[in-house]
Amino acid sequence: MLRASAVAEEAGVPSVSLTCEGFIGQAATTATGLGLPGLPVAIVPGHVDVQTVEELRANVLAVTVEGVVQGLTSPPEKASDIEEPEPGEVVFEGTYDEINRFYYENGWSDGLPIVPPTAARVQEFLKLAGRDADEELGVLLPDKRSATIRTVAINGVMAGCRPEYMPVLIALIEAMADPRYGVEHSGNTPGAETLIVVNGPVIRRLGFNYQQGALRDGFQANTAIGRFWRLYLRNVAGFLPHKTDKGTFGNTWRVVLAENEDALRQMGWTTIAQDAGVAPGESAVTISRFTGGTVLASVFGTNPEQMIPYLADGITRLVAWEVIFTVGMSVGAQRPLLVLSPILAQTLARGGLSKQDVQRRLFEHARIPAWKFERYIGEWTNLAPGRPTLRDLVRRGRAAPIFAQSDDPERLVPVVEKAEDIMVAVSGDPLRTNAYVFAHNGILGFPVTKPIRFPAR
Amino acid sequence: MEALWVVIPTGQRASGEWIDDTLRRRAEEAGLLPRTPLAGRFPRQRVEVVRDADPTEEVNALFEARGWTDGLPIVPPTLARVEALCATTARSASDVLGEVEPLRGEATVEKIAANAVMAGCRPEHFPVVLAAVECVLDPAFNLRGVQTTDENVAPLVIVSGPLAARLGINAGFGALGPGWRANAAIGRALRLVMLNLGGGWPGAVSLAGLGQPGRYTLCLAEREDSPWPPLRVELGYQAGQSTVTVLRAETAINITGGLAEVVSVMASAASAFTMLWEGRVAVVVAPFVARRLAAEGLGKDDVRRRLHAEARVQAGDWKRWWLRQTVRQWPAWIDEAAGTLPVVKSADDITVVVAGADLAIPQLAYFPSWGFPPCRVTREITPPIDLVG
Repeated sequence: MLRASAVAEEAGVPSVSLTCEGFIGQAATTATGLGLPGLPVAIVPGHVDVQTVEELRANVLAVTVEGVVQGLTSPPEKASDIEEPEPGEVVFEGTYDEINRFYYENGWSDGLPIVPPTAARVQEFLKLAGRDADEELGVLLPDKRSATIRTVAINGVMAGCRPEYMPVLIALIEAMADPRYGVEHSGNTPGAETLIVVNGPVIRRLGFNYQQGALRDGFQANTAIGRFWRLYLRNVAGFLPHKTDKGTFGNTWRVVLAENEDALRQMGWTTIAQDAGVAPGESAVTISRFTGGTVLASVFGTNPEQMIPYLADGITRLVAWEVIFTVGMSVGAQRPLLVLSPILAQTLARGGLSKQDVQRRLFEHARIPAWKFERYIGEWTNLAPGRPTLRDLVRRGRAAPIFAQSDDPERLVPVVEKAEDIMVAVSGDPLRTNAYVFAHNGILGFPVTKPIRFPAR
Repeated sequence: MEALWVVIPTGQRASGEWIDDTLRRRAEEAGLLPRTPLAGRFPRQRVEVVRDADPTEEVNALFEARGWTDGLPIVPPTLARVEALCATTARSASDVLGEVEPLRGEATVEKIAANAVMAGCRPEHFPVVLAAVECVLDPAFNLRGVQTTDENVAPLVIVSGPLAARLGINAGFGALGPGWRANAAIGRALRLVMLNLGGGWPGAVSLAGLGQPGRYTLCLAEREDSPWPPLRVELGYQAGQSTVTVLRAETAINITGGLAEVVSVMASAASAFTMLWEGRVAVVVAPFVARRLAAEGLGKDDVRRRLHAEARVQAGDWKRWWLRQTVRQWPAWIDEAAGTLPVVKSADDITVVVAGADLAIPQLAYFPSWGFPPCRVTREITPPIDLVG
């Protein structure tokens, strides 16, 4: 909303953004990041989703209307630069305990002890970056701060990374700064969390765990790089709980998921990175925000026919309100991820399926009745206001034709637009018949893949 | 070397900007940097560590040079002290009560607490400070005007209710004078909030030509043994509740005598701005006088009506006032043709409070007002958490 207003204001068109009471702080910081700190906002008391039409009308008349008039009749002020420490400036000297307390009290750490980013440690990281410390990788909202190689190194040190992780960290921040990912949405209320998937020779080179316990802490590369991601969101992008990060619950960072490329190669399946266009033999990171995940335990069966229905059911159970990213809000942007343990993938491959075949089978089976789909977006939530039917959305161009093949409310419709929207990865305990499924946050964290470039030795 | 971990008490706007950058420019333009040579020179973060052989002295030196004091020494707002104040309220430390005009630093609970610690508040005083800050943030208070005007107005803080005695807010001997920490610290905390979150630096942003001693602190409580209903009850609260009421006061004028003497002071040039802006004034009545008036059968309403009816300025005098000759536009109820002019628009514009020592001396005080709109802002005080029950 504010971003649309900012565009309008810059074009000389007065604007005002209607903002529910709980979002005022976030609106202010977002507006600043957009370079218009005084971007007009009109408050709607409480939250509209729990008000009757009468309550909403009364609130709007009592409070909102005046804000709208004021907003439309006064020009927003321009931003001025906010002074910050110089790059490389020493901000504190003290003992390990003092440094940790200082970083914590100033909101620069996640609550766990950090590794103090001393000049010497940062220098070790910069040496392995192969790029200039002041090179800018992008500008990150909401703080509109420049993402530089130096701040990648600093947050990498703090997170407990090793210097040799630098090329991975740089690729991650390049992905974070990619507009397709939408980092500016990282503070939205569902509080979804990014999952980083790593592919290529880097997995062995840096010792990522890709076998049993693939999503468990206990492996430095997986854990520290996951933590680095969230520290960077905090310290450079500027997402702070109680301020810009409005995640209702949120969750802690996810450790990095590395694929079992030995198993993939053996089956002739493509990797997540290859699906995104990365050449075989290249290393890459793929970031994507997932609203949640669950394990599909004890998959039983010796062939695809027995196994696919359960796996597909897992996807439909997870992708519920999130179908608003399939139709309506952002058409075709729902990208759930199914992680198969190698033994499950191998059983499917033995049944003659390529990864793309698996995606097609899942797409055919992961279906729900049209009435339920419509309830998710227009009745149990108000994410598609006005309770449109899927037919209405197809007519308006806000859904693919597959969603309106008949008028029967009991007809089965998919939860994603296309088979290839279901991402499939292979990792975890090679010999256990479990899978893991993640529901996706659509354009609020769309999958972005970036190659990892190691500097020449 | 000792270290103090202090919370930075100065204002940050919702946009992230620090008001000190504006203040430094204003101070430079106004030639006031000698007063605050380190204005705007501080680490841009929540907490700073000050190390020195005498860190309290060093914090004082730094804060004074940065323009963060009222000129008197402050208590360093250490994390522990600030947290102790924040613990008296159920509100979260990051809650924003509003933006403090005119430079619009955000009044977070924590920033207010830092300033309250500096002012000398004890933790249990903090809920009163929060309520007083809420009062001045009410648009009716016109804080922007109060902070930037060339007049010498200050907020007058009146505490009414059972909490006053429990917190040691003096309503008796010397209620407007020195000697009571709560009165001194609560009023001072409000001033430090106005200086450090609102940026009301004298000469740079606040253009008050002379100022007044009430700009250090101006806070008293109402006596509970008054013959009349207390202020909070008049304003619609329950007797068991406690409230803070804030008025815009130009000064405190001491009056010895009775209503006739109050009338004579009210009907003078001291009330010029009150008349111009339809202001709301306050009259503090000593218990001795209140009892005498009550014995004569006068209630608070009667006192207000009498003051309104009798405090009349002679039109001839009024025409010679500088303000009358400077300002053309006066409220319609200021009717020269009538020969005499009322000082306030209606009797209700006079707030009557009983305070001061129980002496056989008829002591009263008159607080003329400044500024628009007419204001008397009240907020209930939420009792400090450890005093509940």
